[in-house]
Amino acid sequence: MVPEAGEADLVLRLPIGERPRWQERAQEFGFHFHTMYGEPYWDESAYYQFSLEQIEKHIEEPTEEIHQMCLEVVAKVLEDEELLRHFCIPEQHWDFVRSSWKNGDPSLYSRLDFAYCGQGPAKLYENNADTPTSLYETGFWQWLWLQDNVDRRVLPLQSDQFNSLQEKLVNRFRDLQFLTPGRELHFACCKDTEEDRGTVQYLQDCASEAGIANHFVFMEDIGCDADGFFTDMQDQVITWMFKLYPWEFMFREEFGSLLGTNNVRWLEPPWKAILSNKALLPMLWKLFPGHPNLLPSFFESELDKAADFPELVKKPIFSREGANISIVRAGDVQLLSDGPYGEEGYIYQAMHPLPKFGKSFTLVGSWLVDDLAAGISIREDENMVTQDMSRYLPHIIL
Amino acid sequence: MKRTKNINLARMRKGRGVSFVLRPLAIGVAAALVGCSSDEEVKVVSSVEDCVDNTQLDEVQCEAAYQRALEEAERTGPKYANLSQCEAEFGNCRESSSGFWMPLMTGFMVASLLDNDRRHYSSGYYNPVYRYSASGSRYYDRLMTADGQVIGRYGKSSYTVDKRAMDPKPKVTKTVSRGGFGSVASAKSSWGGGRSSSGSRGWGG
Repeated sequence: MVPEAGEADLVLRLPIGERPRWQERAQEFGFHFHTMYGEPYWDESAYYQFSLEQIEKHIEEPTEEIHQMCLEVVAKVLEDEELLRHFCIPEQHWDFVRSSWKNGDPSLYSRLDFAYCGQGPAKLYENNADTPTSLYETGFWQWLWLQDNVDRRVLPLQSDQFNSLQEKLVNRFRDLQFLTPGRELHFACCKDTEEDRGTVQYLQDCASEAGIANHFVFMEDIGCDADGFFTDMQDQVITWMFKLYPWEFMFREEFGSLLGTNNVRWLEPPWKAILSNKALLPMLWKLFPGHPNLLPSFFESELDKAADFPELVKKPIFSREGANISIVRAGDVQLLSDGPYGEEGYIYQAMHPLPKFGKSFTLVGSWLVDDLAAGISIREDENMVTQDMSRYLPHIIL
Repeated sequence: MKRTKNINLARMRKGRGVSFVLRPLAIGVAAALVGCSSDEEVKVVSSVEDCVDNTQLDEVQCEAAYQRALEEAERTGPKYANLSQCEAEFGNCRESSSGFWMPLMTGFMVASLLDNDRRHYSSGYYNPVYRYSASGSRYYDRLMTADGQVIGRYGKSSYTVDKRAMDPKPKVTKTVSRGGFGSVASAKSSWGGGRSSSGSRGWGG
């Protein structure tokens, strides 16, 4: 059953006037991807309103708890070869991933996606632990939106937002500098994606604010020298790198064979390959069956246990932006979204539709910086699967 | 309050219309380094004798510091494919063991005030500095570190530098191959079944 908005103690979706000339403000702050393919991505014609209790009890607490549960999964998977195969980690990289975990390589951030309407427990859809985006929109741009609307008296003075993302990122970078002495930080993402470049630029700004000397190089431009050290376009050796590029891709690429041989510290660390993987979901359900924030989830090999569920969502082990999702009803497969993923296999998750506000299905992204809950982002889509054409809406706490 | 208390808007503001300009290449003369202004007074010494006469280090320590600076220079110094490029910027150059042309180290930095910890040569970094000598450049006759940070005009008795100038600089090497990352993304983006086929969306999620 899809809950309808408007009842007491539901999250509210409220219309609001756009800030006059906000597009100029976006230009001023270098937010270049608010409109994509001619469609709005940033949408400030409405906002979501949460109560403080909803935020603290239903999102903040479970977010930090689930993160700890996820870390238990990492520890378990890394000591079990069969599980490493289930997670499709190539065998030649097992030591690389394991030693990053054993060394306690620090992490920066992740985003848990929840279905949440304001009542009852938020249900975890997935963990974007390796390359989460919509970071700038969350940490800075929606923060500025609230500031501007309070300043122009459109929102009440006491309006707040669950969004300490930027503050926590800067503080985390300070910690990371202390944990990674004597190294300069290279940032990388792929060419031709304004959104990824913007996300990385934002992280560079946060790192600079923390006093970290940093550089940028495109993934495709990374080089190596005769000793197997990675280099940037100035032939400077890379010793510490943030990459907005999935581990599962890097493992399978030419330079993947150099990983672990050339003394690079990585953000996110290699052990995040376990968490950004949809195989995490059936593992969580195995270790924490019946947890109120989890949806029952199964590996392909355990589908017999899923017989009680009339509807299952079939997700590829590796996928981004909601691609290649289908619904299985009594063995009948209905494709919800197409895409280039799925060759590594699938997992199955009990159907739990996103809440609908008016015409929009709404997904709550809950951010973590290291192990601290740091804020939320709201995405809306006309379709049940939140994809890369979904819109971003701001929120307040009142 | 559940949100960030304060954001440095000046840092977040981007130049009008300028998306992402990469830093200039070559040695990347750093116009301004970001960050905290924790300044430190340093001496730039050009030899072991100069070091003994003008710093708190004794002769053994100066000798060790000089050796370390030479090693640092080999590791991190500006590197050029040919002699003329190097000479155009730094005047006096030599060929390194790895086959590059590199400017001669003009001297190395020693902090003016040394506590006991830092006086111990093994714990200190003695960064080499180079004298930029391209005539007509606004950096003419300036001393700079390997990453292009300007220390000041050549020949002063002491310099005030950002503490970061004393940090070890990244190693520079010879790249033998590029393009070993990115192939999976490029294969997936050629998939044309969805609205995202224009490819401008990224690989995050």
